[in-house]
Amino acid sequence: MDYGGGYSTTSYGAQGGAGGGGFMGGSQGGSQGAAGKGTYGKDTLRPVTIKQVLDAQQPHPDAEFKIDDVEITQVSFVGQIRNISTQTTNITYKLDDGTGTIEVKQWIDADATMDTTSDSAPSKPKLVENEWARVWGRLKAFNNKRHVGAHVIRPVADKMEITYHLLEATFVHLYFVKGPLDQIKAEGGGANGNAGEVGYGGGGDTGMNGGQMPNVSVAARRVYQTLKDSPQNNEGLHVQNVAALVGMNVADVKKAGDELLSHSMIFTTVDDDTWAVLEF
Amino acid sequence: MASEATPRVNAKYLDSFTNQTVRILGKVVSLRGETATIDANGTINVQLNRDAHLQLNNAVEVVGKVQQDLSVKVFQATDFGSNIDFIAVEAVVDATHRYKEIFYDSND
Repeated sequence: MDYGGGYSTTSYGAQGGAGGGGFMGGSQGGSQGAAGKGTYGKDTLRPVTIKQVLDAQQPHPDAEFKIDDVEITQVSFVGQIRNISTQTTNITYKLDDGTGTIEVKQWIDADATMDTTSDSAPSKPKLVENEWARVWGRLKAFNNKRHVGAHVIRPVADKMEITYHLLEATFVHLYFVKGPLDQIKAEGGGANGNAGEVGYGGGGDTGMNGGQMPNVSVAARRVYQTLKDSPQNNEGLHVQNVAALVGMNVADVKKAGDELLSHSMIFTTVDDDTWAVLEF
Repeated sequence: MASEATPRVNAKYLDSFTNQTVRILGKVVSLRGETATIDANGTINVQLNRDAHLQLNNAVEVVGKVQQDLSVKVFQATDFGSNIDFIAVEAVVDATHRYKEIFYDSND
């Protein structure tokens, strides 16, 4: 369940930074530079279906795309290669994952082109039509046509990766639409009989609840929920009490608390380790 | 707009997808020249095309059109090897239809 946390925190920042910053020496820098700067440090790498990429909203040109109302920077997906077209400056792959089809462009690094003909080439796994590939990249719009600028594209060796990816994309989609898994379990447990549709209603509430907590980890959400729900006087709760109630160790609770403090969601009362929920 | 999506289905969903192009991941249980039977939460008869090379007992992913008699006319078949966890595959089919908003456009 801790697994979910990664998508809402900035833990991907470092990785995303590598892609956003050093990527391909500016051949695509034009549109990316301005938009990229604003999101530096909150870069995300999100598993998606191609349909989600095609349905992504762009509030205005040059703005970051949004999926489920959450900005996306890097995305990752799988797809069956329908077509490969080698241009002078890039290789364009047409990928189909069963939910839609999109073009993926990988720019050819002029300095590295020699490698493709040299002896090092055979060691590089081959991308062939009708085989599956995984892509990491950034969604772009050019003349109203969308494509993905690939940082990496590689063949899928184990076909279970496709199944895994689709489930992961579903999980992340539900995370953003309905809120974290543990929250749904706690608050939506009653609606189990009709998990499909009625559960969605319950999810709406938790989604809103989660909406007020942008970019906090699952641990922070749990601590917040505990502070909110536990009986207490106006001094709030001490870290030790919170740790006992949530069943986490003190160090983790402190970390979660720091996160909540930095978002002004809680405040310290009698000392630094006693917190109460900041309510308006 | 005609949807390019090929929804992932199994035997249980065939009757709601007649005349549509779907994607089925199943296990090859018998091969009879032009036709074959695959198991995807129930058996499905498939009509093969010339360049489909199915391997008995291996998993195969077919893209094809569901006929009136609930057989599937194969456009394309990809061998998925012998190491497929069909419980996970079922979960994907379930998710596809439960949360179709990220998988395919439907008319309802």
